[in-house]
Amino acid sequence: MKIVFVPVLTVAFGCAGLAAGLLENAPVRVELYEGLAGGAELTPVGEPSYRYTEPAFGFARLPVKYSPEALALDRSVPFTLYAAYERVIAPGPHRFRLRARGASRLLIDGAEVVKTAKQKPNTSGDDPVPAPPVRDESGHRPPAHPHQDVFVNFNGDGKSHKFELVAVIGGKGLMPTPGELAVSFAAAGQIETLLGPDGSPHLTDAAWEAHVAKQDERHRLGDRERRLEASREIMAKWRARHQEVRAYYQDRVVAVPVATTGLGAYNAIDHFLNTRIKAAGAAPQPLTADLDFLRRLSLDTIGVIPSGDEIRAYLAQPAAQRRAMSIERLLGNPGWADNWVSYWQDVLAENPGILKPDLNNTGPFRYWIHQSFADGVPFDRFVTELVQMEGSVHQGAPAAFAQASLNDAPMAAKADILGQAFLGVKLGCARCHDAPFHPFKQKDLFSMAAMLNGKPMKLPVTSTVPLVEGGRRPAVQITLKAGESIEPGWAFADLVKHDETGALPGEGRTETRRSLAALMVSPRNERFAQVVVNRVWKRYMGMGFVEPVDDWARTKASHPELMQYLAREFVMSSYDLKGLARMIFSSHAYQRRPIELLPDSQMSTANRLFTGPIRRKMTAEQLVDSLHVAVGKKFECEDLNLNPAGDRPPAQFLNMGKPTRAWQLTALSNERDRPALALPIAQALVDVMTAYGWRQSRQSPSTTRDDGSSPMQTLVVANGVLGTRVVRLSDDSVFTELALRDQPLDKLIGEAFLRILSRPATAAETRTFSTLLAPVYASRKVAGALSNYSELKSDNRVSWSNHLSAEATLIRMEEERKMRMGAEPTKRLTKDFRERFEDTIWAMVNSPEFVLMP
Amino acid sequence: MLNRREFLAATTAASAASAATTQPVPKGKADACIFMWLGGGAAHMDTWDPKIRGDGKKKAGSYYKAIDTAIKGEQVCEHLSRSAPLLDRAAIVRSITHDISGEHAAAANLVHTGRKPSGTILYPAIGAIVSHQLGPKSEELPAYVVMGYPSIIRDPGFLGAKHGYVYLTQIETGPNGLVRPPDVDLNRQDRRETLLGGMRDGFLKRNASDQTVQQQDAITKSAYKLAGPKFLNVFDLARENATLRESYGGEFGQRCLLARRLVQSGVRFVEVSHNLNFLNGSGWDTHNEGQLNQHLLIQELDKAFATLIADLEQNKMLDRTLVVVATEFGRPPEFDSGGGRGHQSLGFSMVLAGGGLKTGQVIGRTDEIGKQVVDRPISVPDFHATIHCALGIDPHKNLYSGDRPVPITDRGTPIADLFS
Repeated sequence: MKIVFVPVLTVAFGCAGLAAGLLENAPVRVELYEGLAGGAELTPVGEPSYRYTEPAFGFARLPVKYSPEALALDRSVPFTLYAAYERVIAPGPHRFRLRARGASRLLIDGAEVVKTAKQKPNTSGDDPVPAPPVRDESGHRPPAHPHQDVFVNFNGDGKSHKFELVAVIGGKGLMPTPGELAVSFAAAGQIETLLGPDGSPHLTDAAWEAHVAKQDERHRLGDRERRLEASREIMAKWRARHQEVRAYYQDRVVAVPVATTGLGAYNAIDHFLNTRIKAAGAAPQPLTADLDFLRRLSLDTIGVIPSGDEIRAYLAQPAAQRRAMSIERLLGNPGWADNWVSYWQDVLAENPGILKPDLNNTGPFRYWIHQSFADGVPFDRFVTELVQMEGSVHQGAPAAFAQASLNDAPMAAKADILGQAFLGVKLGCARCHDAPFHPFKQKDLFSMAAMLNGKPMKLPVTSTVPLVEGGRRPAVQITLKAGESIEPGWAFADLVKHDETGALPGEGRTETRRSLAALMVSPRNERFAQVVVNRVWKRYMGMGFVEPVDDWARTKASHPELMQYLAREFVMSSYDLKGLARMIFSSHAYQRRPIELLPDSQMSTANRLFTGPIRRKMTAEQLVDSLHVAVGKKFECEDLNLNPAGDRPPAQFLNMGKPTRAWQLTALSNERDRPALALPIAQALVDVMTAYGWRQSRQSPSTTRDDGSSPMQTLVVANGVLGTRVVRLSDDSVFTELALRDQPLDKLIGEAFLRILSRPATAAETRTFSTLLAPVYASRKVAGALSNYSELKSDNRVSWSNHLSAEATLIRMEEERKMRMGAEPTKRLTKDFRERFEDTIWAMVNSPEFVLMP
Repeated sequence: MLNRREFLAATTAASAASAATTQPVPKGKADACIFMWLGGGAAHMDTWDPKIRGDGKKKAGSYYKAIDTAIKGEQVCEHLSRSAPLLDRAAIVRSITHDISGEHAAAANLVHTGRKPSGTILYPAIGAIVSHQLGPKSEELPAYVVMGYPSIIRDPGFLGAKHGYVYLTQIETGPNGLVRPPDVDLNRQDRRETLLGGMRDGFLKRNASDQTVQQQDAITKSAYKLAGPKFLNVFDLARENATLRESYGGEFGQRCLLARRLVQSGVRFVEVSHNLNFLNGSGWDTHNEGQLNQHLLIQELDKAFATLIADLEQNKMLDRTLVVVATEFGRPPEFDSGGGRGHQSLGFSMVLAGGGLKTGQVIGRTDEIGKQVVDRPISVPDFHATIHCALGIDPHKNLYSGDRPVPITDRGTPIADLFS
């Protein structure tokens, strides 16, 4: 066998996708080969499609492949990983272990010494559950089902040897992931380390998990670096376009009203608002307290309440500057991207399924949304990429948006989503008939759909209202016939005309999609920037200038000039959503105490003065994430994956990974009602989210959630599994550590208020809680007791291939039962004190003050 | 000026009114429903619609012997021996038909919502519609309870989260969110609520004029009533006579007993899932070897169903409680290579019992091996319309998804023979 190895340095930059920065300079050379001839996967020849390096032979995550426009792409099915490293093996007997899920081989000095078998796709559901993994005497991490461990003995001679690993990743009917691909070795009787330089991680649970976590982080950053690198050229083109756009808008200045005497104002926004407030004879709200401002701002920027450290840093800053400084600090926090994902998941009907396609399942384009916001992609480029729908479906590039499983006119669904999201036109009714309350005909929707389709579209029989012989006449107009063919076309010439748009930067495969994107983001289509501004305004101020934000057909703006002003600023800033947010956060209006505007009065534009932001509730995601932040606990969840064995393809079983933020959760898809398909930890999170208006199935777009108060909202936190886990003083709670600290009781109480409610305790509150806690405070510590935290874990032997077996059912039911017991309470605090302090935390978390934004 | 909804209501009411005069719907008097769910697709020829015997291999047909029932001239499978003599209290609908046989989730969704999903709107499950229409009996009770896993097929759809269900996956765990955590006893709960009361008062005082705060506070305060002893005592099955508990049988039977207690306390719709697939390794989805121990599932169903009917009757609740046995599809009379059965949706059985219906009848027929419907095909919307009518709900009434009127059933016609 011959493996062609081209030294890294001789490869011209870019031609084979050389890893930039972060993935360079580690000792183990790795190459990925694609498109190898069938049968040749284990003997790769020619040019690798990608080269990078790793610190050791443990591969749980591979670098993402990106297109020239930085969209994730799929590699060939299958592809090959090749890794090479040379090192000295000390004299004496050694044993090497090769661990792989699929076919692989290990070579020493060019000769194959050991290999594993190919993984076969599995369509069964009633295989037996494999026996529990056996841990050997040295405590090595056992192979996860269905990994294979094979061994070879090797006598070291104190000389250098070359080690090469070749592994086939994925294949037809399989997950295109490496699983826990690894090579490890040790001298007889020693604990194995991963193959690599001395000091590489041991093959034990803790060391492997740490290795994987590091790899994950390194690749996350490396992927980002390569995305930015890849999009350098396209960004230059967008910058050139933005120059032209600015030239177009240069003279279209919106005059800012003069300051209104006596009313607080920080920027132009306030001058517009104050003029109306004064004219209406109303008074603006006073400014919020500093800490209330921080809590509100933190939720609005990064989607969680401020941590204890954040609050302390804030209070340490000079009062006159702390608000402005916190705006900058929080806008620079990576949580900015997290807090935007859930919003666009709703608006764009992102709807991935983890168990076989269900109606209107899309791919997980959440990942692309997240990276777009993390990378600071200008918003017009974001929309253009979305409309072009390219890249990988399963890895969540915009091609994932194009999916709508089991839908016979997916592009009609997408046209409706795009219309609502970015044009304020609601075409949903026109799916099956002319819209009864809008000036839209069915043809308007289908001609836009045909643009996405790239060619004429036939109206499906199911997209019309059936006329039943002798039945009643439908109350709706129907002007298209089933089977009729509709040409691509643009029905919204009042917004912008076809010949008014310039060319877009970059390339796209479908000409009509590019035309549609060009129409949507054209600077001449002023509606686009206004719709986006209106959406962002509503997010932060509680109401839009135009309501509903996704349907502008029959409504007027409350502040048309301000909206135009902000839209121009947004365009002039190169469609920078962060700049827009900064402008709103910096206004006096945003920083005022909240007003309540009850539903009846909300619809009237005359009543909408924005004397302050409208009182809002945390969103489902903000609540769940903030509960974790409040008590300093890690977000725990099992992998959202019903096929851990990896023996079914991603089109049937998507692996959505282990969530660390609430937006990463997804529908748990147990319509089959089978205990072995339950994900109990995720279910506890989903229970809370559902009560707060999160939709586990987003079959259609929505902007405003149904999160009206219900008793279940209260109870699911008060008594539910997540609430119990959050409140429990286990050894991973920050309050366990704080309670063990030597400090006066009042200080501990104050700390709890600060971390949970972002404010100091009132005198009365301090009294109440100190009366409760003081009698047991002095004796709270249990001498000699140790920390005993262990993370909730699920048994990954259970997979789709065996989920029907009795054992799989019993394993999951037992896990569910254990999970309900909650985390182990700390042994370092007495039971009496612990329970009293847990009840303290419980009362704060369950106070309406926690979930209502200040 | 009419707003959008009023406008549509007026125009559709005009046409609906004419339809209503030509098709009056019966109005039953039941006020609660227990919906037994045999997830996986129960084989009708092995349960409610026995046919000539097959051999488990080449020869198609029933897997078990048939026995007589209280409905004259009608038989069921031998493993339904406890239910057979009580079937004069039930109607077996042997001609349910729909066209989704490939996918469990899609068929289960159809049988729960009565519609194929459209993508422009999320249809509510029948449990959500019934509880939305009948409303909770008091603020101390939920209207809709599910014993099984939460999923979108049971969701309230466009009716909104507040018409959702309270669920439990196992009896011992109790209803999610309503049961105090295991380490919180009544004293501790009192302490918690007292502390919370102090927090609430302070917050309310600091925001005295804010109605949003007042509203949120009122909800927080009232929620604990729902989790109060009145409702939670319902879950304490130990309060029941031991002999009765035993005659209900295993976990599924106990769930049915709990369903009776829930209905007795005022819950409107209880879905009881029979998803204990460890009994035969596949639940009702009896492909391959799942067939071999299917009789254990049937026997468990039999025990629970028969005891529930008798128990409801004993408590004078049978006339006002509709019991439904539903499943996503049936199974073909032929056997697969592993001796089990595939899926069949074009003809299969569901059962209605009690609820003030004219029971003791069989509705519809399949052919001699149970392959095709040969008499009175009943669609899922028809079956739903029958359930709604039994509960006094007009199946043609419009619900609203925003502005859009959506009739409760998709033009379902109730089975007239079941109403006197």
